[in-house]
Amino acid sequence: MADIRDSAIIDALRRQMSIAAAKQVVAAGNLANVNTPGYHARAVDFTAALERQMGGTLSLAGTAGGHLEGTVSEAVSTEEIDGLQPRRDGNNVQIDRELLTMSGAAGDFARAQTALAARFRMVRYALSEGR
Amino acid sequence: MPSLSAAIAASASGLNAERTRIEVAVSNLANSESTRSGSGGPYRRRDVVLSSDGVTPFEGTLQEAGATGVRVAAVLEDQTPFKRRYEPSHPDADKDGFVALPNVEPAEEMVDMLSAARAYQANLTAINLVRDMLQRALELSR
Repeated sequence: MADIRDSAIIDALRRQMSIAAAKQVVAAGNLANVNTPGYHARAVDFTAALERQMGGTLSLAGTAGGHLEGTVSEAVSTEEIDGLQPRRDGNNVQIDRELLTMSGAAGDFARAQTALAARFRMVRYALSEGR
Repeated sequence: MPSLSAAIAASASGLNAERTRIEVAVSNLANSESTRSGSGGPYRRRDVVLSSDGVTPFEGTLQEAGATGVRVAAVLEDQTPFKRRYEPSHPDADKDGFVALPNVEPAEEMVDMLSAARAYQANLTAINLVRDMLQRALELSR
């Protein structure tokens, strides 16, 4: 258990919440354009998101003993979704698909939030010396 | 990370666009028998042109992935020919007794309105989901 630090867990949960928020933003943009001719639905670039979830490539260097290490959250990139059948006006947004993405992201967010809140409660408990 | 306020801004732009579509469809229906209009001649059916639009929130320039909103690019007049109806007693009838009527098809307007209403609901649902997420983020401090 020595190498599972509090900050690593909190960081991972924070990243999960960031990705859920990014998914939400992109799906909201797709939904807003459900009637725009020629618009193509976009999604959060999964590989980039996964890479960041696994620790990312950018990290803060700890050059002295007292420094905190951690990863820098980069901008989230998006890509067009392949394989969706476009309508006659060239638009391929599907309302149900986007709403499903949004509910899923909201669920992810809630799950990470619950775990994070529990972590914070433990820290508060320790700070108040168990009172 | 794109901010959740960008998602709300995108959904709000969607609500705005769909509301405009409903307004235009309603005025088309209301004027389906108007033989006189401001530009002279019968009323011409109007059509909303939507175009996608990057929503840039305060920190938008720092990010790759903002939300894509939508905006009303134009409201154009439909140039299809007018319908003609034989009605010699009508004050606007031509010398052969035909009246030119607006090129509005009620069925078409109803379908437009339905699709706009569905899209409006979807955008509202999206706003509610984002709002729930913001609420949960605030609950972290409890």
